[in-house]
Amino acid sequence: MLLRCRLPLARFALDIDVSFQSRVTAVFGPSGAGKTSLLEAIAGLRKIAQGEIEIGGRVLFSSSRKIDRSPRDRAIGYVPQETALFPHLSVRKNILFGAARKTGGDNAAGFPLDHVVELLEIGHLLDRSVAQISGGESQRVALARALLSHPQLLLLDEPLASLDIGLKERIIPYLRRVRDEFGIPMIYVTHNPVEVLSLADWVVMIREGRLVAQGIPREVLMSGMVVSQLDKDQLENVFDAVLTGSDIGGGRSSVRLESGRELFIPYMPGAVNRPLQVGIRADDILIATQEPEGISAGNVIRGIVRNIERAGGQAILRVEAGETFYVRLTYSAIERLRLAAGGAVFLIIKTRSCIVL
Amino acid sequence: MKKIWPVLAFALLGLCWSPAIQATEILVSAAASLTDALTEIGKAYESNNKNRVRFNFGSSSELARQIDEGAPTDIFFSADLEKMGGLEKKGLIDPAGRKNLLSNQLVLVLPNDSKMALRAPKDLLLPEVKRIALAQPKTVPVGIYSKKYLESEGLWEGVAPKIIPVSDVRATLISVESGNVDAGFVYKTDAAISKRVKVAYEVPLDKGPKIIYPVAATKESKNKEAADDFLKFVSSQAGKTVFRNYGFVVLE
Amino acid sequence: MSAEIWHITVFSLAVALASTILILPSAIVVSWLLARKNWPLKMIVETFVMLPLVMPPVATGLILLKIFGRRNPVGRWLYDHGVEVLFNWKGVLLAMAAMSFPLLVRSARTAFAEVDPRLEQIAATLGAGRSRIFFAVTLPLAWRGIVSGCLLAYSRALGEFGATIMVAGNIPGKTQTLSLAIFSFVQLGKDTEAFGLLLITIALAFAAVALSERLARSRAKI
Repeated sequence: MLLRCRLPLARFALDIDVSFQSRVTAVFGPSGAGKTSLLEAIAGLRKIAQGEIEIGGRVLFSSSRKIDRSPRDRAIGYVPQETALFPHLSVRKNILFGAARKTGGDNAAGFPLDHVVELLEIGHLLDRSVAQISGGESQRVALARALLSHPQLLLLDEPLASLDIGLKERIIPYLRRVRDEFGIPMIYVTHNPVEVLSLADWVVMIREGRLVAQGIPREVLMSGMVVSQLDKDQLENVFDAVLTGSDIGGGRSSVRLESGRELFIPYMPGAVNRPLQVGIRADDILIATQEPEGISAGNVIRGIVRNIERAGGQAILRVEAGETFYVRLTYSAIERLRLAAGGAVFLIIKTRSCIVL
Repeated sequence: MKKIWPVLAFALLGLCWSPAIQATEILVSAAASLTDALTEIGKAYESNNKNRVRFNFGSSSELARQIDEGAPTDIFFSADLEKMGGLEKKGLIDPAGRKNLLSNQLVLVLPNDSKMALRAPKDLLLPEVKRIALAQPKTVPVGIYSKKYLESEGLWEGVAPKIIPVSDVRATLISVESGNVDAGFVYKTDAAISKRVKVAYEVPLDKGPKIIYPVAATKESKNKEAADDFLKFVSSQAGKTVFRNYGFVVLE
Repeated sequence: MSAEIWHITVFSLAVALASTILILPSAIVVSWLLARKNWPLKMIVETFVMLPLVMPPVATGLILLKIFGRRNPVGRWLYDHGVEVLFNWKGVLLAMAAMSFPLLVRSARTAFAEVDPRLEQIAATLGAGRSRIFFAVTLPLAWRGIVSGCLLAYSRALGEFGATIMVAGNIPGKTQTLSLAIFSFVQLGKDTEAFGLLLITIALAFAAVALSERLARSRAKI
């Protein structure tokens, strides 16, 4: 896959020159980096000033060779962020809209309707109107519509950005299934490193329209350059807090959350009452049903389970403990501890799992 | 949306049915003030004749313009000599059958309940007469006639400030009926229609301007024979009687 | 209801309907071009189309009379080919069509402008060509506005007076519509008859509003 394009945007020019061979390529960068514009350029919805786009040996655009295929002939399944389902058509008519396409070359993927419907679990939605389905369902329907249009490449624009955390958990497994079941290359735009890590095998990082880094996700995302760009979205729990004390010898500081709860965090210098933000990943919180003793973790907090969202073998607990904490557990952990809404639990959080943002 | 088709079918049926083709149909463009009289004459004519008559009623100036643009008119019955003359000059009128058939009389009308005693034209100068309705004295025949008459009586200067110009005879009549004006000039035939106005005085035929209704067949008529036949009937005794019944003065 | 009034009512309804159907295809094309495309002289065409909205109807009628009159090339040509447009139901149709066209174009244009172009783009990426995009996406999404425009145009056609009397005359039994008949009755001081026709007109107005409400509701359900 070859992407070389230059096009002027409102605040800066998008100028990208990359080539890669991967199943799922994440285009990663902060909001306003030009990610969506890049997808639109690939799909043919945005004029490119200069460049070449070649996918699977097919030239979609080439300013030097004066090739500019229309969006119709590019055989690209584009799932925009807002899903753009046709509001006047039923779910069934939506997903079949592009199914009649015969263009797109020999290796254009054609998937049977039943298979796609089953895989994305949208069979029960087929006869509904688009207005009657939820945000997560819309994403799956839009994905099905793109898959059934015989695409050679799928473009996914932040499919999870508009969903709340419980729904995100439910969509990711479907995206994995699509990745694993159908051999279509995908370009996945996101500003969330967690999604990059869980789906992509190549990442292209852009900022202000320019390439910052590319490579294998784990390597690119762990480098120092990326950490500075981490944004809050990868952390399911983010709290406003003020510094209440620091112990350089003990290697830890303490903060007070808005509810008044004290939390230990890794040592950081600073004056008392300095405001800051603390983030904790949902994966980094342990749950106990009895108060633990003899434990290294600095924070043990009593709380009440408010509800449990299950999806794809995993569950997200919402725990009320002054602040609301999100905790991700396997389904089996829920079973073993017999967790249910209304039950009392203890949250165990290592000091070093609290990240100052 | 499917429900609309029966309605549509019905409507189209209506379309096909309305302009049903008749044997010979002539079109008479006539001044609006002739509507009642001519409709009655038309019915009488059709009852003894296989020719059919259609009327196009409007203001004389509008009708003249239509004929000028090639309207398929067979007979023009104008409320005003000037319009007829204009068409004749352009060669659109058959001068042979042209007749100045009718005349009308100007009358001054008051609301039924008016207590004013207006008996002579000069009474219009009385201070209690504040507003007088008159059809546009520049363009509408009845307005033009009324102004000419007042000028000949030497009253125009004094009356002019009291004039409320309205669009036509009918509007004059409505303003008087409603009591919004104290008096108005209309044709005698119009005054006869309304039960809510009374005639204060009639302008004597010899003193007032000559109000003439000329009638003629058009040059481009495709039904010349039928048109002439109807013209003959209109000016026959039977026709004249009908006109008189509606208050017209028939010119011999 | 007398046979005469029945005839006038049916005639008015039928010709107004025919005029709405007649202008629908071209109004759709024009309003789409105005809403979605930029082309040279667009503003001039736009003004020209909207002219009957601002001009006195009599002036529109006069222009139509000039164009279709026998003394002018267009009218002459039609006349020589046996088509007489003026002073029969075709003249009524012409006047109604000319006067209601801008109203339909205005509504339809707004309706087209409100269709999210994103949906059309996505349809293109799904392999739809221009005509399929138009008929499967744009038109159905704009349909509600177009239908309400049709009702507006239809009502305007029913109420049309000034242009009709110029182009078609006021010929009882032939070109007399509800509006023309009301005018005639008022002219003749036959207020009772005029009010009778007025009642019919009001009833028709209610029917049109009720119908448009129903259409709006049935669309909302989908």
